Amino acid sequence: MTEQQLSTVEAELYDRQIRLWGIKSQERLRAANILLIGVRGLGSEIAKNIMLSGINSLVILDDGEVTEEEPQTNFLINQDSIGMKIADAVLVKAQALNPLVKVSADTSDLATKDPKFFEGFTMIIATRIKTDLLMKIDKVCRANNVKLIFGDVFGSFGYSVSDFQEHDYYEDQLRLVSKKRVLDATETKPEKETVNVKGQIVYPELNKVLILPNTKQSVDHIKKVKRRNEYFFLMLILLEFRNRQNRNPDIEHKEKDIALLQDIKIAVLDLYGFDHNKLNDVLFELVFGEVVPVCAVLGGVIAQEVIKAVSQKEVPINNVFLFDPVTFCGKEETVA
Amino acid sequence: MAAVAHSVPYSIDARARDLIPKSKVLLVGAGGIGCEVLKNLALSGFRDIEIIDLDTIDVSNLNRQFLFRKEHVGKPKAVVARESILAHNPNVKIKAYHDSILSSDYGLNFFKRFNLVLNALDNRTARNHVNRMCLAADIPLIESGTSGYSGQVELIKKGATQCYECQPKPPQKTFPGCTIRNTPSEPVHCIVWSKHLFNQLFGEDDPDQDVSPDAEDPEAKINGENSVTESGNIKRLSTKQWTQDIEYDPEKLFNKFFSEDINYLLSMENLWKTRTPPKPLSWKDAAALVGDKTKKDENSVRVRDMEVWSIAKCAQVFADSVTTLKKEHANKDFLVWDKDDQPAMDFVAACANIRAYIFSIAQKSKFEIKSIAGNIIPAIATANAMIAGLVVLYAFRLLVEDYEKCPSIYLRQKSVHSKFILAADKQLTKANPVCYVCSPKPFVNVFVNVDKMTVKEFESEVLKNHLNMVAPDVVLDGKGVMVISSEEGETEVNNDKALSQLSIVDGSILKCDDFLQNYELTVAVNQYVPVEKDDPLFKVVANPEELKAKETQNGKENGATSSKDAESDEDDLMVVDEVAEDPQEGSSSKRRKLNNDSDDEDIVEVPL
Ligand SMILES: [Zn+2]
Repeated sequence: MTEQQLSTVEAELYDRQIRLWGIKSQERLRAANILLIGVRGLGSEIAKNIMLSGINSLVILDDGEVTEEEPQTNFLINQDSIGMKIADAVLVKAQALNPLVKVSADTSDLATKDPKFFEGFTMIIATRIKTDLLMKIDKVCRANNVKLIFGDVFGSFGYSVSDFQEHDYYEDQLRLVSKKRVLDATETKPEKETVNVKGQIVYPELNKVLILPNTKQSVDHIKKVKRRNEYFFLMLILLEFRNRQNRNPDIEHKEKDIALLQDIKIAVLDLYGFDHNKLNDVLFELVFGEVVPVCAVLGGVIAQEVIKAVSQKEVPINNVFLFDPVTFCGKEETVA
Repeated sequence: MAAVAHSVPYSIDARARDLIPKSKVLLVGAGGIGCEVLKNLALSGFRDIEIIDLDTIDVSNLNRQFLFRKEHVGKPKAVVARESILAHNPNVKIKAYHDSILSSDYGLNFFKRFNLVLNALDNRTARNHVNRMCLAADIPLIESGTSGYSGQVELIKKGATQCYECQPKPPQKTFPGCTIRNTPSEPVHCIVWSKHLFNQLFGEDDPDQDVSPDAEDPEAKINGENSVTESGNIKRLSTKQWTQDIEYDPEKLFNKFFSEDINYLLSMENLWKTRTPPKPLSWKDAAALVGDKTKKDENSVRVRDMEVWSIAKCAQVFADSVTTLKKEHANKDFLVWDKDDQPAMDFVAACANIRAYIFSIAQKSKFEIKSIAGNIIPAIATANAMIAGLVVLYAFRLLVEDYEKCPSIYLRQKSVHSKFILAADKQLTKANPVCYVCSPKPFVNVFVNVDKMTVKEFESEVLKNHLNMVAPDVVLDGKGVMVISSEEGETEVNNDKALSQLSIVDGSILKCDDFLQNYELTVAVNQYVPVEKDDPLFKVVANPEELKAKETQNGKENGATSSKDAESDEDDLMVVDEVAEDPQEGSSSKRRKLNNDSDDEDIVEVPL
C-alpha cells in the first residue's frame, strides 16, 4: 500500500495529532496494515488506540471465546456476546471507533498459521503469546521487514518488548541559535529553532532477549545482564509460567500458582546468577488477572510504540519497557 | 452479584477491593482524559459515578475521546459519555451534568457527597475552583493533564500535599503594544496583530487592540519628544467608521494597512536604527508576487493548508475573506474571531503572512498559524490513556487513604537521553506555608493604584480573574463597611467609585469571603502606580519577598497587551510545568501561550 495524501475529512479528524507528529507521519500511519494477536484487556486497549490513530487496516486474531467475566473488563465486548468468538465479538465496537479503518476478525489458532500469513503486515502486535510461537513469528518478521512488538499485563505488572530490526527514525529537537538581527535590549534571550534529526536503533532478535531455562538459546549474552532490573526477571518468570501451564496465573489456584512461580523464579535467577533476595516473592501477589487501568497504561505505551515504528517519528523504546506495579513508574531497559 | 465482584481487579489492596463498589466518585470533565477515566472506573467495579462537563462534542475530539462518534458531534459530552458506558454495562449508576462546575448549584454539600474527586479539566479557572472546593470539603482530589506526548497526575489532599494553587503559575505570555503595532520581530507578533485587525474591522471595539502605528512608542521619541506630530490614537478612533465608509473595499484596506501605515512607521526613524526597516507593499505590487508557479493540486490538504502561500495568494485570500466577512458582519453587531470559522482563519493567515513579508519575518502555513492563533494544544489518545490509567490506579489507593503512596507522576516523551517514560516524585510535595488558598489564614498583598482602580475593576480583575473567586463579599476591616456584596442590589452604587473614595488606601485591609468556595482571604492594599507603558495595572503577591524577585525580571503579569479573545478549545489537558524539567525534552515545554488570556495550557492543567 502506498502512502496517499490525506483527505479534508481526515485532516479535520486527525487535526490534534497531526499538529504533534506532522502530516508525513499521518500519511505513513494511513498506509499501515497491522495484525493484533490477542484482544483481551490489554489487546482491546491497544486496538482502541491504534484504530483512533488512523491506520489503514487492522486484523484482530484471537481464537478464544467470550466468557461471562470478559465483558466486565473488556469495553469492546457486550454482555450479549457470551459464547461468541472474542475476535468476532469485538468487531462492531472496534469499527465504531473509526469508520475509516478497515478492521477484520480472524478466529483461527495462531499455532496453525502459515508463515506466509505474517509476511504481508506492516507491523505485528502480540499479546498473551507463548515464547516458542513468538520466536517463530519474529523470524518471519525479520525475513520480511515486518516490525514486531509484544506485551502483556499480569495483574498490576506489565511490559513490552520490541523488535523493530534496523529502525530509522526522525525526531524534532529544539536547538538554541544565535539571533541574526539586533533587537531591543529587552529581548536578548537566544532564539530556539526546531531541527529534524535522524537516528537509527538496531534491535536484537527476540531469541537473544528472552532467554529462559531449558531452552537451546545461546547463554553467551546473559552474562551481561546481571545488573538488570528485578522486573525484567519477573517478566521472564511469568513467560516461563505461561509456557509451562499454557495459561496465565489464575486467582482460582492462587496458592498453587504462587508455589510454581517460586520454583520458576529459582530456575530463572540461577540461570542469570541474580541474587534471589532482590526479587521479593510478595510481587507474586500482584500478578493475577488484568488490572484494567494497568491495561490502559500499557495499551497507551504499546500503541505509541506502534505509532513511532510505523511513522518513523520520535525515539522508540529500545527494547524492553517495564511497568513497576508498586510505584507505577515505567522505564526502558535495553537488553542484548 | 458474582459478575460485579469479578470486575473489581485482583492484584490491588484487598481493602480497596471491598470499597470500590461502595464508593461515590465525581469526575470533572468528559474530554480526552475524562472518557478514559470513566471507562477505567466502570470496568474496575465502581458503581456510583457522577460526571460533569460544559462542553459539546467537536469533530477534532474524535481522534481520542473514544466514547464519542461522528453522529454525536454537537451533543453534550457528559451525556453521551454516560450513555456510551451504560450501553456497555447497565449496572453502573452514572449521573451526568451538562453544566459548569463553577455554578453555585455545586456547592460544598454537593462535593461532600463524594469519596473522591477526579479532575479531567482543560482550564485553570475550573481547576482552581475545584481545588478550593475539595480543600473546603476535605475530599481527596486527583488532578491530571496532558499536552502532546507529556502529562501528569497529582494528588491534592488537605494537610498531606500542596494544593493546586500553592505555587504561582507562570503568567500568560503577552507582548508589549509597541512590538505588536510598530516593531514585530517574530511570526507570533504578526498573528496577534492580525487578530486585532480582525476585531478592529469586524469585531467588538477594544481600545487595547489598536493596530495602527503607535506614535507614543518610547523608542521612537527623540529627547523625549515625539518624532512625528500626528498621533496614532486619533486615527484609531475612526478605523471602523472609515472601513464602513469605503464599504470594506479590499484594495483600499490593503493599501492602508500594508502600505500607508508602513510608510508612517518608516517616518519614525528611531525605530529603524538597529532594525531592518519594513517594506511597504501596495495591492498592485502584491499581485505580482506569485512565487513558484508550478501547477499544484489546490484541493489537497497539503497544498491548501500546509504550504506557505505566495504573497499574491495571501492578497487574494485577504480580499476574498474580507468580502465574505463583510456579508456576515452585515447581519450582526460584530463578529467574534473563531479559528474554526474558515473566512476568519483565512483572514488572519493572509494578514499575518503579508505583515511578516513586510517586516522580513518568516512566513508560515495556515496550519501553523492556526495552532498559534487558536492556541491549540496537540492531544493524542495514547498519552490520555496512560494518564487516565494512572489516575484510577491512584484512586484505588486513595480509597484506603494511602496518600503517601501517591506522589506526582509525570509522563515524558521518550528521548535518547532518558530511560524513564513514567517517572514519579520521591515523595509528596508539601504545601506552601504562605499559599493564599490552603494556608490556615490566607493572605495576599495587592499592589494597585487606589485612586484609579474602581471597585468594579477590583472585583472583576483582581478578585475574580486573578484570585479566582466566584462570588466574593468584601468588607473593609476596622470600619466594618461592606464594599462588595455577592447579593444583587446591595453595593452596585460603589461600582464606579475609585477605591480611595471608599477609604480603601495604602495600608487598608480587606476581608474577602467567597461563600460558595468556603474561602476567606485577607487582602492588604498597597498603593502602586504603574510607571512604564507596559507595567501591569496591579500586582498580587502572597509573600512580599517574592515581589522583590519579580520586579527585577519584568512586570508583565497583568494588563500588558493581550487579546482576550482566544479561548483555546482544547479539552485535554494541560500540562504541568514540571514536565519540562528534563532539558532534553524541550518540546514538552513549548507552550503556546502567546497572545491571550486563554487559560488553557499550562500548568497542571489537564485536558479532559
Ligand atoms: Zn496551597
